[in-house]
Amino acid sequence: MAPVRAPLLERGAGVLPWVGTVLRVVVGTVWVVAGSLKLPDPAAAERAVRAYQLAPEGLVPLLAFGLPVLEIAVGILLLAGVFVRPAAVVSALLLAGFIAAVSSAWARGLSIDCGCFGGGGEVDADSTAYLSEIVRDGALLVAALFLVARPRTRWALLDRAPTSRGGPDAGS
Amino acid sequence: MPGPDRSPTRGRQAARERIAAKRAAEQEAERLRRRRRGQLIAGITVAVVVVAAVLVTVLVQSARTDTADAVAPANTAAGTAETGFAVGSPGAPVTVDVYEDYLCPACRAFEESTGDTLDQLVADGEVLVRYRPVAILDRFSDDAYSTRAANAAAVVADTAGADAFHAFSESLFAQQPAENGPGLTDDELIDAAAQAGAQGDDVAAAIRDLRFGDWVASATDRASRDGLTGTPRILVDGEPLEAPTAEALSAAVEAAQG
Repeated sequence: MAPVRAPLLERGAGVLPWVGTVLRVVVGTVWVVAGSLKLPDPAAAERAVRAYQLAPEGLVPLLAFGLPVLEIAVGILLLAGVFVRPAAVVSALLLAGFIAAVSSAWARGLSIDCGCFGGGGEVDADSTAYLSEIVRDGALLVAALFLVARPRTRWALLDRAPTSRGGPDAGS
Repeated sequence: MPGPDRSPTRGRQAARERIAAKRAAEQEAERLRRRRRGQLIAGITVAVVVVAAVLVTVLVQSARTDTADAVAPANTAAGTAETGFAVGSPGAPVTVDVYEDYLCPACRAFEESTGDTLDQLVADGEVLVRYRPVAILDRFSDDAYSTRAANAAAVVADTAGADAFHAFSESLFAQQPAENGPGLTDDELIDAAAQAGAQGDDVAAAIRDLRFGDWVASATDRASRDGLTGTPRILVDGEPLEAPTAEALSAAVEAAQG
C-alpha cells in the first residue's frame, strides 16, 4: 500500500466501524420497538395486515403474528452485534417488502396507515403518510445495506471491527 | 559426493523445521475449521430459536384471538351470522348494513348527517338496516371504550330488542367521548341503557362484566375478514357506499330499488 494513502485509510478504518455501530443500534432499536408494539393486540395486527388487501386470508395470522417476532429477533441480533450480516440481510429484505407493500397500497388508492408500529387499518384520505413511510423505510434500508457491506463494528459482542492498536477488540 | 547442505545434521534440522511448519499449518487449519463449525452451530441454533419463537407466537396469538366460544346476544338479525341487529321491515326491498365503532368520529358525523334520512327510509318501509357494532379503536381509548360500548349495546339488544339497541346507539353517538381519553363510564352506559329500555341488575352486571366482550371481538374479526378496514362502512344491498352522506345513501337506495 502506498504510504501516502495510509493516514486516510486509517482514519476511514477508525470512523466507519463507529458509523456501523450507530446504524446497528438505530436499525436494531426500530425493529425491537416496532415488533413489540404489534404483540399486545393480535386482532388489530391481523386487521392491519388485511387492510393492505394483499395477503390471502390463510397467510394473515402468520404475517400478523410471525413478522413481529422476526423483527424483534433481527433487532436483538443487530443490537448485540451477533450475526450482523445475516440480520442485516433479513432487515433489508423485510424493509424492501414493506416499501413494496406501502407503495402498492398507495398506487391502488387505499387510505390506510402502514401499521408499521402497531395500529394500522383505514384512515382518512388526507391523513395517509405513504411518502414519509416510504422515505423512513428507505433510510433504514440504506442503513441495513451498509451493515451488509460492513458488518464488523465497534461495541459488538461477536462481529467486532479490528482495532489498529490491537488489544481485546483485535482479530475476533 | 554430498554437497555442504547434505550433511546428516543439517538434513535432520531441515526436516524437523519442515515437520514443525506442517504441524503449525495443520493446527491453524484445525483452529479455523473448529471456529467455522462453532459459528455454523451457533447460526443454526439462532435460526431454530427464531423459527420456534415464531411458531409459538403464532399459536399463542391465534389462541388469544380465538372467539369460537363467544356467546352471542339474543335478537340478532338473520343473515348477519349473529353479529348485527336489524331495524325496519324484514320485507323491505333494500338492505343497508352499517358498521360502526362507538368511538369513531366519522361514525358520529354519519349519524348526525344521515341518521334521519336512514330512519325515514326505514319508516317508509323502503330499507331494512342491519347495524353491526365493531370495536377497532380501543387503542385510541384509555379504557377500551369501543369494546365496552359495543358490549353495552349488545346487552341492550339482548334484553330489550333491536329497536332499543337503535335508541341506545343514537344516545351513545350523541354523547360520544373524544378519542385518546376516557370513554363513558360503566355507570353512564348503564343509565343510557335504562333510558333506551334495558334496566335492572342483570343489565348492569352484564355491562360491567363485558358479558358479550368475546362476541364483540368475534363480530369485529368477522367484519374484518369480510373486508372492513375502517368505519363507518355502509353497504347498500352489499355494495359499499362511496361517501357516507345522505345524498349518496338516498341515491344508492334508489338505484338498488331499480
